[in-house]
Amino acid sequence: MTATSDGATSKPAALVPVTIIGGYLGAGKTTLINALLAADHGRRLAVLVNDFGAVNIDVELIERHDGETISLTNGCICCSIADSLGESLDQVLTLEPRPDQIVIEASGVADPAAIAGYGQGWPGCRLDAVVVLVDAEAIRRQARDQFVGELVTRQLTRGDLVLLTKTDLMPEGAVRAVVDWVGAATSSPVVVLGEAMIEAAVVLDIKATSAESAAAPLAAHELFESAVLEPEGPLLRSSIENALETWPKEIVRVKGVVSIVDAAGAVESHVVHRVGLRWSIEATQVAPVERSHLVAIGLIGAVDAAELLRSLT
Amino acid sequence: MTDITVFTARKVRTMEASMPTAEAVAVRDGQIVEVGTLDSMRPWLDNYDHEIDDTFRDHVIMPGFIDPHLHPSMAAILLPMHFTTAVEWDLPWDDIGKVETRIEFLERLIDLDRELEPGEPLFAYGHHPIWHGDIDRTALNEISSTRPMIVWHRGYHSLIVNDACFEWMGLDLDAARRHPQVDVDRGAFFENGLSVAYRHMKSLILGTERFRGGLDRMRQVIHHGGQTTICDAALGMYGFEDEWDHLVAVMERPDTPFRMQLMPFAMGPASGSETDDELLARILDYPNRNTHRLRFSDHVKMFADGGFFAELAMLKPPGHLDGRHGEWMTPPERFEQLARLYWNAGLQIHVHCSGDLGVELALSTLAKLQDERPRFDHRFTFEHFGVSSAQQVDRIAALGGIASVQVYYVYELSRAFADRTMGYERASQMSRLGSLERAGVRFAVHSDFTMAPAKPLNNAWIAANRINESGEVMCPNERASLDAAIKAITSNAAFVLGLEDEIGSLRWGKQADFTILEADPYDVGIDGLRDIPIWGTVFEGQKFQI
Repeated sequence: MTATSDGATSKPAALVPVTIIGGYLGAGKTTLINALLAADHGRRLAVLVNDFGAVNIDVELIERHDGETISLTNGCICCSIADSLGESLDQVLTLEPRPDQIVIEASGVADPAAIAGYGQGWPGCRLDAVVVLVDAEAIRRQARDQFVGELVTRQLTRGDLVLLTKTDLMPEGAVRAVVDWVGAATSSPVVVLGEAMIEAAVVLDIKATSAESAAAPLAAHELFESAVLEPEGPLLRSSIENALETWPKEIVRVKGVVSIVDAAGAVESHVVHRVGLRWSIEATQVAPVERSHLVAIGLIGAVDAAELLRSLT
Repeated sequence: MTDITVFTARKVRTMEASMPTAEAVAVRDGQIVEVGTLDSMRPWLDNYDHEIDDTFRDHVIMPGFIDPHLHPSMAAILLPMHFTTAVEWDLPWDDIGKVETRIEFLERLIDLDRELEPGEPLFAYGHHPIWHGDIDRTALNEISSTRPMIVWHRGYHSLIVNDACFEWMGLDLDAARRHPQVDVDRGAFFENGLSVAYRHMKSLILGTERFRGGLDRMRQVIHHGGQTTICDAALGMYGFEDEWDHLVAVMERPDTPFRMQLMPFAMGPASGSETDDELLARILDYPNRNTHRLRFSDHVKMFADGGFFAELAMLKPPGHLDGRHGEWMTPPERFEQLARLYWNAGLQIHVHCSGDLGVELALSTLAKLQDERPRFDHRFTFEHFGVSSAQQVDRIAALGGIASVQVYYVYELSRAFADRTMGYERASQMSRLGSLERAGVRFAVHSDFTMAPAKPLNNAWIAANRINESGEVMCPNERASLDAAIKAITSNAAFVLGLEDEIGSLRWGKQADFTILEADPYDVGIDGLRDIPIWGTVFEGQKFQI
């Protein structure tokens, strides 16, 4: 059995994690996708986009470009969503080798939570993260717009993470004002990206799904810091659930493998994910791990390893 | 073989202001050479071999009816299904009564289950929760545990299936349970969850034999409605080249008594690698493949907001009764960009707009384009026109727009939407026509088939009466005059399609397309419009009796 924050249950299976990138036009979805395709994260990504024209892949990275698919030398591919998202998903799921992760660019007028259904419930997939990008300069004007005001305001509430882009062009006071405004409009963690590139490990599920490739801490990053938590002995399910439910939202992602002991004393390994405020604990087939191992990634200054560890036990 | 055939009739209703009625129409090679009386057309008859055809001596010849907006591919998918809607359907092969309550709906399914071959999937089209309430998997299982049953929403909004259908689909139940827009317990697929169901059904419902069988049924429907020209108002919704091949195979035959104008679905590139310039070049190239009956011209179809039946219209304040949100079909900025591309290329733009905010997007875009690069006679067309205001109508008039109105909304939805969706004031004024007529905006009415029966006289009747399925008159001030209602299915429908020099009225040089009626609608008056019997049609000079 699996517990999740929305109460759903599922059997563990080799499901491909899916990240949804949402947000209105001009919010920087394509820039983020370009960066993810080029970043050195060692994952074979399949990225589904609405429009190739905007994706500006470094020519040196392109191995092959045939019709609706661009193959990159790093093993990633970028596909255009031709007729339907479902068909495109089926296509990339049958690729050999299978992609490690799928990234879907949502249409600018989509409700990202609705698109998330493709990650959550398409055969062979599981939802990893819903990331909503926001053009910091334009958002308050867009929110007043008679055509899209309601939509962009709703999009803000639909991401596990909200990333504010284009703040590097704004005066500091203006950035503070927009952060406050966005913070009031959503309960999700808000990350000010500015000129910084997003850390791939925040939006992708990297190196955390099996005991063999235990999560590793982040290299130095200007926005994020991380901590490795290795609580002693098997954990009670209630402790880990409580921790995932109550850790501050500035802890933007948690992943790892933990040993959980049940009422009968049996110990089983579980994979833990938390993105923003949404979390899941899933039983895994791997042999029970000697020691639980979690990586928590948070905003600079928000990761208090000792406090997090204490709350687990 | 004579040169000229003269069709005489009890009356010829020309829809030409210069000569509203006549007694005879002389036809050569499928085109009219002259309209008038046997006496007045003497100069032609003295010079050419001719025969008099008095088949219609007791009938009235009208210009062939035109439906400027329907969806043959949607019809091809739905017509092989069993109709179970809240309104009646008089289809050429079946006369289907209203299914107005949950009990009636389930009883209809029980009857259908008895009629079909064992194991054959039962597709029922027309569920709408406003009338039929909550139909779920359990209710369907009680009807059949062995036959796959699929209940299709009237506005394509959801599907409900039984356990046998889960099995038939080979549905991955674990994945389906995780999907937020699939409710396995209720057997319901909605919004993006629909694609999970289509994934398993697509090969059946889009299969060549079934699809072409559906198109062939549509051929009969169009003939029975008395139409001689129709327009596919979004070719390419399900796959452009496949749809085109099917249309050529089924429609381009000597026994097809109508022509089709084709409007490409033009909401963006067909693939991620196509640029906007390539998109435009592709659209401009379509007319090169025209056949005799199937024709592209300079029209494109765009979409503003979501479907009216599906309750996805974008509404200005105060919005929907229950606070629900509509949806945009594309980002408004992208809509404007594409509209500009087509406007600057001189194309005629048709915009699907359901709600008053959808109308507003189309209007504000048109205003910008007129400001940037003024065009006369551009015929920017507001399609459907579910909810609008009189002030928006005035702006359409000021900007030179025209309208093609889905007037059947009034019949089927006005009471239900008053109670459930938007309140009485807006619902009673949906698909307004009186304001358009007063403002001098030309308008056609269309069926949007299969959203409404493809029966132009029925649509004209609704336009002139605004009587809904409950028998109420909804906003009499938005009725069209009798004359405007008839023009809306003839001359003004031709104008919307840019074909007014060829069809839509009867005069020299036009196609010899007639709809043959047993009475003149101008004599019958608004009350009896929908009941006028149709003998059949004449298409390009050839008689096709129903």
